Formats: sequence, structure tokens, C-alpha cells
Amino acid sequence: MNILGIGTIFSGGRGVDRFKAALESGSSNVSETISKGRTLHAHRVSLDGITDGAIKKIRRADRISKMSVLAASEAMLSSGIPLSSMERPGIIVASALGAHVTTFEFLDNIIEYGDSRVSPITFSNSVHNASASYVSSVLGIHGPTISITDFAFPFQHALQLAGLWLDEGRCDYVLVGAAEEYGDVLGYACEQKLGSSAGGRITPFGFKNTRCIPGEGSAFFLLGPSPSEGAIAQVSEVSFGHDRSEETPAADLLIIDTDGMSGDESTYLNIIGKHETAASYTSLWGSMMTGSAFHCAAGALMLKEQAYYPNPVSAENSLDIKLLDTSGPAQIESIHCLKCDCSSTHASITLKKPAG
Amino acid sequence: MLDRKIAITATGMISAAGAGYGDTASSFDLVKRNAGPVTIFDTPLAYPVFEATGLPSQYLYDHQRSLGLAMFAIDEALSAAGLRDTIMHSRTGIAMGTTVASQLNDLEFYRSYRDTGSASMEPVDRYVKGNLATAIARKLRLNGPRMTVVNACSSGTDAIGIALSWLRGGLCDIAIAGGADELSRIPLCGFGSLGLLNPGLCSPFDRDRKGLNLGEGAGVLILETLESASRRGIKPALFLRGYGSSADAYHLTAPHPEGIGLIEAIRRALFEAGINPSDVSFINAHGTGTTENDKVEGMVLAKLFGPDVKALSTKGYTGHTLGAAGGLEAAFCAMGLREGWIPASAGFENRDEDIPLTPVTARTSIEGRYALSTSLAFGGNNAAIVIERYAE
Repeated sequence: MNILGIGTIFSGGRGVDRFKAALESGSSNVSETISKGRTLHAHRVSLDGITDGAIKKIRRADRISKMSVLAASEAMLSSGIPLSSMERPGIIVASALGAHVTTFEFLDNIIEYGDSRVSPITFSNSVHNASASYVSSVLGIHGPTISITDFAFPFQHALQLAGLWLDEGRCDYVLVGAAEEYGDVLGYACEQKLGSSAGGRITPFGFKNTRCIPGEGSAFFLLGPSPSEGAIAQVSEVSFGHDRSEETPAADLLIIDTDGMSGDESTYLNIIGKHETAASYTSLWGSMMTGSAFHCAAGALMLKEQAYYPNPVSAENSLDIKLLDTSGPAQIESIHCLKCDCSSTHASITLKKPAG
Repeated sequence: MLDRKIAITATGMISAAGAGYGDTASSFDLVKRNAGPVTIFDTPLAYPVFEATGLPSQYLYDHQRSLGLAMFAIDEALSAAGLRDTIMHSRTGIAMGTTVASQLNDLEFYRSYRDTGSASMEPVDRYVKGNLATAIARKLRLNGPRMTVVNACSSGTDAIGIALSWLRGGLCDIAIAGGADELSRIPLCGFGSLGLLNPGLCSPFDRDRKGLNLGEGAGVLILETLESASRRGIKPALFLRGYGSSADAYHLTAPHPEGIGLIEAIRRALFEAGINPSDVSFINAHGTGTTENDKVEGMVLAKLFGPDVKALSTKGYTGHTLGAAGGLEAAFCAMGLREGWIPASAGFENRDEDIPLTPVTARTSIEGRYALSTSLAFGGNNAAIVIERYAE
């Protein structure tokens, strides 16, 4: 299947142009908040000043839904393919934590007002599939619309399902995305579990002590069958397993999802080949269980533009992983986007330069 | 891919209607409605609910009731399929729908954080480890694809449809698919705030219906490729023939007034099954007992299948089990086809002039081959599956 459009919103701003600018410059945007007497650091998204028609239609929606709608709208628009030419587009939205901030707001309701005086709007928005519902209603998409949750590989599972839907003709296009939001409870849990309060930047090649800085945002992709004119990149395979040695030959670049969210991430060391050139851009958008979607977007853009983006953080590479040390124009045929969970299972997305 | 037949080699179920196939069939036969006040958590809300009181103690996991319900249904299904001791050796996927088990909605954890700025991390660990499909895969040592579907009230049906795609696409040979949800204070408060809860017992499609009753449970199907069933010496009699899903793209909590998404979902499921509406023997409708759901669903079913189609809602026996509903109702459809009868649509007494459909009011014999199960959900999701009983 092919990636035909991409939309992003993250701490560096809204839109693929801002995303590319961050990839090129390596700059990140970490904000500091004081909550319950603690200083917490996170990659926060600002929705201030966004006045699109899409947002106006969903004034009562929560942050995660708004981020999803903005990213999904851009993915559709950037493809240049009008909805009217699609016969049966579908939607798949992946999230690890869903609308947890809204869920806690609903719990506030119960604590403050009692069981019989809670807000129906807050409850409706706290349901996991509210984001996907807003995407479908704002964009007018009537095809299959699925929301999934997973803590290890949510985006990879969504992408794999999209491929099946295209193969079996259930859909002719699929809008696949991931969305995650930040809240103080998440910040507190990350501080307690992962020691994220130190601030600074994510150090993706620390492995045993990768610094975690929670992030939020959304990345969406419009996918269509191969071959497709104007494709950004081809998703040639989504695979899961324990042993990469039996997989397809090494790609030009291996992008790894190390972001400190899994604690000890040394399982990556068991499956990265000695000769593979690695990069990780997680320090640009923060630690997210659905961060793989942003890496997929980065990989697709590199294939489209035939240019490497520099590793934003190369420090703390004490284990001598062969890191991408160049940037700019290059001949790139394929990129692997790799994520491991704490039980040494991994998921790999293989992106290729689109045919033609 | 669509012509690849996928067998249903077993079902598993637990709800207020019974713990397992036999208990459930008995409740259906006797029109037993096991509803009562909430007993599993404290709440001042007095709405009746359908608790799965038959869940054996070994499945009462600490703060993971949904997982316990799921494991009961799965154990029943695996035993019936002859797979209980061998499932880990097959390429097996797990697709489960849920709502409650997908959210960190631990009130005491949050109250502690809110009041003191600190809280035990135990609920967080439990939540992360408790992702329904992942937790089941870990327990059963499954090595195929896994997915926790959170499509609100159509989650279970959608999970079955996703497993169908996996099997057709060759990702696995066997899939456990369905849904599980525990009764929780959070949706009880939420549905109450929306004015959707019935102060008495629900009466789906009835003229005087006043809303739904929440319930809990789990229902699963064991889905299997014909090659896998054949290797095990199984000659299947039931098949999952089609799945359709469509979004209303209309409203967060209300169905489209003309049911456009539901119509499309049903049409797709029938198309995949290669059948016409007249081939459908009976329909297990979503039928929650709310004013809008039953009006729209009844109108759509009558329009597509005619006013005399045999239809029922089983929510009069189980309550609305949210993410479990699609799994349970798929298992009930399989039961109806296998047993040759469907139960009375409990709670229905008076025809609503706005609904051109009358559900069955007594135990009714079934003679045909195909059953349809429908689900409508928050967010405007609609899903339908077609199950076939094939007899030589």
C-alpha cells in the first residue's frame, strides 16, 4: 500500500511543513509546568490560534479529538484526492491511553457532584472512539471506522489492518492515524515510573537509561493501494516477531522508537544489526506509545524527498551504535521503522521509495 | 479473499443470562431475566442492572473483572473446540472488544492523586498490563496478531470482523474474537447523565420503552480456517460469512435518523456472504431499549428485510453489555442456528406504531441457514455480521 497524504500536529507546531522544519533543524519544544508542587516537563501541543473550519465544527470536543481532526484533515487535503472520488474510505485510529484527560475530568464530576449530576458531554467525549467519530463526521467519511488501543504497537497494528482492508476490497482508501494527549496524571506517572522529571532532551541511544519526556500529538496517513500516482512512500511490510535475522535485507536506514517510555530499552541492542545505520527522532515530539506514527511520517518524507534528516540527539551513544551522521540529499530506497516492547517482541514497518 | 470460508468451531459466553452455553439456553427458554440492583460497587443510583453473578471465583481477578469474564468465555470456547491444551501451538490471533477495560478509570487512584498529589502506581501497572487482548495473549501464550477494539458498543462485532480479515489474509489459522466488559460505575453514571437508563426493566422495541439497563459479560467465537479445522479432524457446521461496518458521520451519541450507516453495514455483510435479505432466517438486533436506537434500527430492519422478519433483542436477558454485546450476540446467533430456535424478545409487549417491526414474542423455531447480528454504537459506528449454519 502507498502513503498518499500525511498530516501531523506535535509540540513543534501544526502541519507537515512544521514537522519537516523540526526534522531539518533538530529543534524541540519542551515546556515546563508546575502541578501539585512538582515541576513536570513535556512536549505540549498548542491549539491556541487555530481557527479552521474543522475545529469550529467540533468546539465541544476535547484536545485529543481536536488534534486527531487537524492531523486527519491535513492528511486528506495533502493527498490532493477529493473525498468525492473515493468509493469507500475507512478510518482507523490508534491510541494507547485515549482520552484519559477527559476520563479524569469525568471522575472529577463524580467526586465533586455525585453519580447523578455528572456531565453527559464529558462522558461522551471520554469514550475511546470519540476521536474517530469526530474525524468521520468532520470529514464526511462513512466507511468502516475503527478505534484500537494497545500499549506496545498500536500504530503498527492499525497499519497492518489497513493493509488487509485494502487487500480484501473493504476500503479503497484508509485514513490511519495515531493520537495521544498529555495530562498531569500522565506526567506524574511518568515521573514515578520512568524518572521523567529531570527535563532536558530524550536520549534515544541510552537504551538502559533513555530519558523519557512525555509528548502529545497526532499523525495521520491517507493510504491507498499500490501503485498510486503521487505516492509519498510505499509501505511494503508490517511485521511482528522476535528475531529480525530472518527478515528482509537491511534497509538504508533503521529508525528506532527508543523514547524511554518502556523503561529499560536494551532489548533493541539484541536486534539492531552491527552494520545498520540508525537514527531516532523521538526527541522532537516526545515519548509516546504511538510515537511510531511520527517516525513513519519522518521515514516517508525522507523517501519522498530523497534526503536524510540529521539525528537530533547523538549523545550518550556509549554502545557504539552506527548512527546516521549525515543529512541532506541521498539515494534512499528503503527505511525500516522499528519498535521493541519490553518482552523483546518487535514490530517493523518497511517503507520503500514509491514505484515510478 | 472474500470467498475464503471461515468456520466457527466453538462459542463461549457469560452474562446475567448464565455462565456458559447450557445456563444461557435455559434462561432463554424460560425467559428468565436476572436483573437487580448494583452489588459489585457502591453507587446511589438505583437503576437495575444485569450482573454476571455466575462468574466462578477462580475468574474473579483482582480489579480485572473484564479479563475474568473474558477468560471464562474463552475457556468454555477452547474446551468446546478441543483446543484448551494446544492453542499455544497454533498460529492464533486474539481480537477483543471492550470499553471499561480500556480506560484508567480507577476512582480511588485518581482521588488520591487529586487530593494529595500522589497515588500508588499499582493501578497504573494493572492498567498497562491489563490491555484486554494483550493480557489474554499473555495468559494463553498466543503468538498471532492481537487487537483490543474500542469502538464503544459495536466493539465486539468489529473485533469479530477484524479477526475475519486476519484469517482471510493468512495472518493466523485460528482467532479468538468477541468482547468483554464488566459493569462499572463510570458508564453507569455516564449513561444515567445522558438519560438513557431505564428505572425498570428494559423493553426493546416496545412502544413504552424507557431506556436500557447496563449489564456485563463476555462472548467469544473460535474462528478457524477450513484448513486448520480439517487438520484437527473437525467438520465445521457454522461459518462466519460476512462483516460490514459503516459510520454515520452524524453525531457523537445519536444514530443517524435514517440509519444510513446501519444500512450500509448490513448491505456489506450480506454482500460478503453472497446472500439476499430474504435468505436471512433471523436477526439478533442491537435493540437496546432506548427511544432512538430502537426506532432507527427497527425502521432499517423492516426496510431491508420486510416487517415480518424474525427478529429479537437479547438485551432483555443480558442488559446492554457495551463492548461485550457484539461478542455475546454473535454467540447467541450461533446458538440459535445450532439449536433451531430463538427465544422471545424479552420485555416486548406492545407494538410501537413508529417501528414497522414486531420482534418475536415466544420461543420461535428457525429453519433457514443464515443469521444476522447488528450493533450500533456511540460515535455513529454500525456493524453487522452474517453467520451460516451449513448442513449437508
